Amino acid sequence: MATHITPCSSSSSSSSLTFSSEFNVCKPRKCCFSKRVSQVRPRILSRNHFQIKSSNGQPLNAVSMQDVLFGLGMDGRPLAKGIKPEEEEVFFDFSDPEEVQSTLSIAVVGASGDLAKKKIFPALFALYYEDCLPENFVVFGYARTKLTDEELRNMISGTLTCRIDTNENCEAKMEQFLKRCFYHSGQYNSEEHFAELDSKLKEKEAGKLSNRLFYLSVPPNIFVDVVRCASLKASSANGWTRVIVEKPFGRDSESSAELTRCLKRYLTEDQIFRIDHYLGKELVENLSVLRFSNLVFEPLWSRNYIRNVQLIFSEDFGTEGRGGYFDHYGIIRDIMQNHLLQILALFAMETPVSLDAEDIRNEKVKVLRSMKQLQLEDVIIGQYKGHNKGGRRYPGYTDDSTVPNNSITPTFAAAALFINNARWDGVPFLMKAGKALHTRRAEIRVQFRHVPGNLYKQNFGTDLDKATNELVLRVQPDEAIYLKINNKVPGLGMRLDRSDLNLLYRARYSKEIPDAYERLLLDAIAGERRLFIRSDELDAAWSLFTPLLKELEVKKIAPELYPYGSRGPVGAHYLAAKYNVRWGDLSGEDS
Amino acid sequence: MAAFYATHCRSYSYTYSSSINGGRNQRFSFSSSFLRLSVPAKAKVFLQSQRNSYQNAVLMQDGAVATKATTVEKETGLEKLKDELLSVTSSKEWDEKAGFDINENESTVSITVVGASGDLAKKKIFPALFALYYEDCLPKHFTVYGYARSKMTDAELRNMVSKTLTCRIDKRENCGEKMEQFLKRCFYHSGQYDSQENFAQLDKKLKEHEGRRVSNRLFYLSIPPNIFIEAVKCASLSASSGNGWTRVIVEKPFGRDSESSAALTKALKQYLAEDQIFRIDHYLGKELVENLSVLRFSNLIFEPLWSRQYIRNVQLIFSEDFGTEGRGGYFDHYGIIRDIMQNHLLQILALFAMETPVSLDAEDIRNEKVKVLRSMRPLQLENVVIGQYKSHNKGGVTYPAYTDDKTVPKGSLTPTFAAAALFIDNARWDGVPFLMKAGKALHNKRAEIRVQFRHVPGNLYNRNFRTDLDRATNELVIRVQPDEAIYLKINNKVPGLGMRLDRSNLNLHYAARYSKEIPDAYERLLLDAIEGERRLFIRSDELDAAWELFTPVLAELEVKKIIPEYYPYGSRGPVGAHYLAARYNVRWGDLGVEQ
Repeated sequence: MATHITPCSSSSSSSSLTFSSEFNVCKPRKCCFSKRVSQVRPRILSRNHFQIKSSNGQPLNAVSMQDVLFGLGMDGRPLAKGIKPEEEEVFFDFSDPEEVQSTLSIAVVGASGDLAKKKIFPALFALYYEDCLPENFVVFGYARTKLTDEELRNMISGTLTCRIDTNENCEAKMEQFLKRCFYHSGQYNSEEHFAELDSKLKEKEAGKLSNRLFYLSVPPNIFVDVVRCASLKASSANGWTRVIVEKPFGRDSESSAELTRCLKRYLTEDQIFRIDHYLGKELVENLSVLRFSNLVFEPLWSRNYIRNVQLIFSEDFGTEGRGGYFDHYGIIRDIMQNHLLQILALFAMETPVSLDAEDIRNEKVKVLRSMKQLQLEDVIIGQYKGHNKGGRRYPGYTDDSTVPNNSITPTFAAAALFINNARWDGVPFLMKAGKALHTRRAEIRVQFRHVPGNLYKQNFGTDLDKATNELVLRVQPDEAIYLKINNKVPGLGMRLDRSDLNLLYRARYSKEIPDAYERLLLDAIAGERRLFIRSDELDAAWSLFTPLLKELEVKKIAPELYPYGSRGPVGAHYLAAKYNVRWGDLSGEDS
Repeated sequence: MAAFYATHCRSYSYTYSSSINGGRNQRFSFSSSFLRLSVPAKAKVFLQSQRNSYQNAVLMQDGAVATKATTVEKETGLEKLKDELLSVTSSKEWDEKAGFDINENESTVSITVVGASGDLAKKKIFPALFALYYEDCLPKHFTVYGYARSKMTDAELRNMVSKTLTCRIDKRENCGEKMEQFLKRCFYHSGQYDSQENFAQLDKKLKEHEGRRVSNRLFYLSIPPNIFIEAVKCASLSASSGNGWTRVIVEKPFGRDSESSAALTKALKQYLAEDQIFRIDHYLGKELVENLSVLRFSNLIFEPLWSRQYIRNVQLIFSEDFGTEGRGGYFDHYGIIRDIMQNHLLQILALFAMETPVSLDAEDIRNEKVKVLRSMRPLQLENVVIGQYKSHNKGGVTYPAYTDDKTVPKGSLTPTFAAAALFIDNARWDGVPFLMKAGKALHNKRAEIRVQFRHVPGNLYNRNFRTDLDRATNELVIRVQPDEAIYLKINNKVPGLGMRLDRSNLNLHYAARYSKEIPDAYERLLLDAIEGERRLFIRSDELDAAWELFTPVLAELEVKKIIPEYYPYGSRGPVGAHYLAARYNVRWGDLGVEQ
């Protein structure tokens, strides 16, 4: 219970305290693994693992599997409701030396892949470096390639970096971390090979209570095989077993449902951690904090004051020789249906009962289910074409050798979505996502309505709409929050202009912002499901996009071509105009 | 006529509406300005003839004068008049009025600084006039006259004035040259403040400079209050313009209480009409005070929050980091409440709390401000804490106590610090404490408005804040000086793997956003007076209402000889201010740990 001790998050002045919930026994908050915690966990988990094991193959209702319920059973003690944080430590500070030690094994399946090298191992090291991993842990790489432990260590050491803000002992830490990394070579569909892995894991676990996390960094067509083998042959016997899967989760409602059904043959809902790494981004996490812990925003958070919401994602590069996967999915599946829609749901949801994962996900599902299915006429698709600039040739999408020559897969899409509920009726939620555009950014823009009966309207000429307030959350790069306000230009005249009330993270917080993967890995280890996608969420998300995706394919809608490095097809403007919206990121005044 | 629309001083915004520019460069889109354009021409005779009669303030609006100059005297005409006033804003009227401006070269303005050898004149008025000149904000023809008792030549005045003139940092070109040109237009006339004869001499000199142009005259009274009336009498009777307007700027103090203020107003009105009197409150000329209405009324996001439903309390804070320093004579007679609270802070409060005015016209705004003042409860003794600074040793330096000042009586009980809780008993603000705090010899120099919002009902993040929800509320801070800034404190997630919240600021720091130097309040107010823009000047009924709130408590403090709480020079003021705040469940925002 003393899980609010925070070796990884530097706490804390009186107004900036660590999250310390009364039910965090089984839910050690991210970054909260004190040594004491790792002693507490085995107890809880040893009582729970039978539940989990016995339910294998028998899907449990997600809601009933909340951590809180486990907490209730623990020690036969009720939830420590109302306990003051100061007392928590005393209360749960049982330092029984005989306590069974627990251990965590993280198996990265597909260890030789790009994501593993670039994101997963570095994130694990960062967590280790920040003392966020439990005392006993091992990392196992699993892939088909033949590698020795040493070769794996060599391979990943090249991508590990230390945080800028605390890089003492970097070398030493790195060495210690690498010593805990091992490799096992095997086929993804071989139960035998996974059984070998299991025995290696058992060796390392040395009779301690074992918790196992599998990170599936493999192509979607072998998801199910891996899950089957891992579940049947390499599940923990006395602790938990969790599996992290990455998108794509199918191509449409049917294939997604099929995938879920298959996964659930081997895993229960609460063992499946569907990652959407955008949910681990700092400013996406902060979205709920902004809304729910500030009085000044919530009253404005509805159709009464908000004119439209824009969710914008752009990359300044194309597929660059890796179009094989992309061409099969396209930008709508790759970005919109998951990342942008998830942000939209978080943005628009009603206040949840609590910050518990199930409460939040329940609210998100409600938003998704209140949404109108996306219509063809509310979508614009585009594809980048070759472009010559400054003597340099930028290739078109179909110039990519991994892309079929006649591909009509969209690399750009803009869409208008609507939520038919009391709060958002009639407010357009515009999404825009594209590759090979002029900038790289991800942001949320909230445009407010104009001031009714504005006394200063003559100062703005006739275009009141250009002078509305706008709240911008820039997710990347250069995390920032700013609120555009109308302000008097200092001086003797009465001129108004738009200024920003600014919060630039770089200026305010010297700390490096952790990568989304760190947060998500830590959450998965801690069993915090808030930022992972539940099956019903996924279903609801697909049912919004599936009819449209089918229609695009059946009708073979040709994408509007736009030059590599441009601002995207102009069709996006016409779509916006249809709903009386002006894109905030292309308005000229903005950066 | 009314050709005082110097063009280059107001740089135009791209958003400026094309429908109203008609070649007219005025103070932007205040709809009153077009009325103002036509006023002096039609009204000048009227003003002249009315000089000795008392006028109702409302009756004397520019608009009223312009539209119905001849029927104004009839009390019964008031309502009709107001209706007409509101109806004249058609664009046709606009164009018509905008077209007549052919006499520009024929008018001139003479600015007479009465009390030219005083401190204010040297430090503020002449530099402000020069800054206006430097920015091409003054009319083509203008003359500045210094008037005081000392014997001085024009050259001596110029010499004296030249020392305090500075050029704006942002465009220093031609500074020396401009200064010389400006000084050539400065003259001096020595005379007694109560001598009609001496003012008649001034009149003659002014006429020489004015030639045959239409003459407009502005008198700036930078003299002690006891000679206000004499000077006004003489200036009005002997040095009024014969064919243009005559306006008089007066500075505080406007009396010591309701009675003396009313007497002063009455006396002024013997010689001046309401619309000739420009009572200056230089705080109203501060950039961020001007911006307060812009923030409220041109942003959607603030107005919905602007009421008791969301605002817990409002704090108006003024502090100086020095004492009277040998100039306590004047101050001791008034005290901090009269010197700062009853005027500057109360004016800001009224602007902050007023309902949306019908328009940005001076009369509409002042009407709303008066409504606020009249909805307020007179200040009660138990809602006031007073203090006086005592001497203090720090780092080997002894800072003197207030009563150590030679110009202050030994046993003086005059407060140099005061905190007060005020309430507006109207639908918008019922129960919301408006806390004021003003003091000398404190630890810093600042003036700011702090708006503390209520806590988030049913806050999901309660646990992060433990039990002290009140400290995690949003707060909007408008820092008037120094370092003009606006910031909104929001609760934010501290980046990192944990879920920690802290308060961060959404910031607008003027120095970072605007490279332009912010003009001094006096520049704005002088320009407004020249242009006849009364928005930032105090109307008689406003002044009455303001005094009514403070007079009873001021009288009580004096009668009961309430002893101020002593606080060390350079400290944060008496702790009594905290107890006063605590009584209304408020925490001063400027003295928190984090600020």
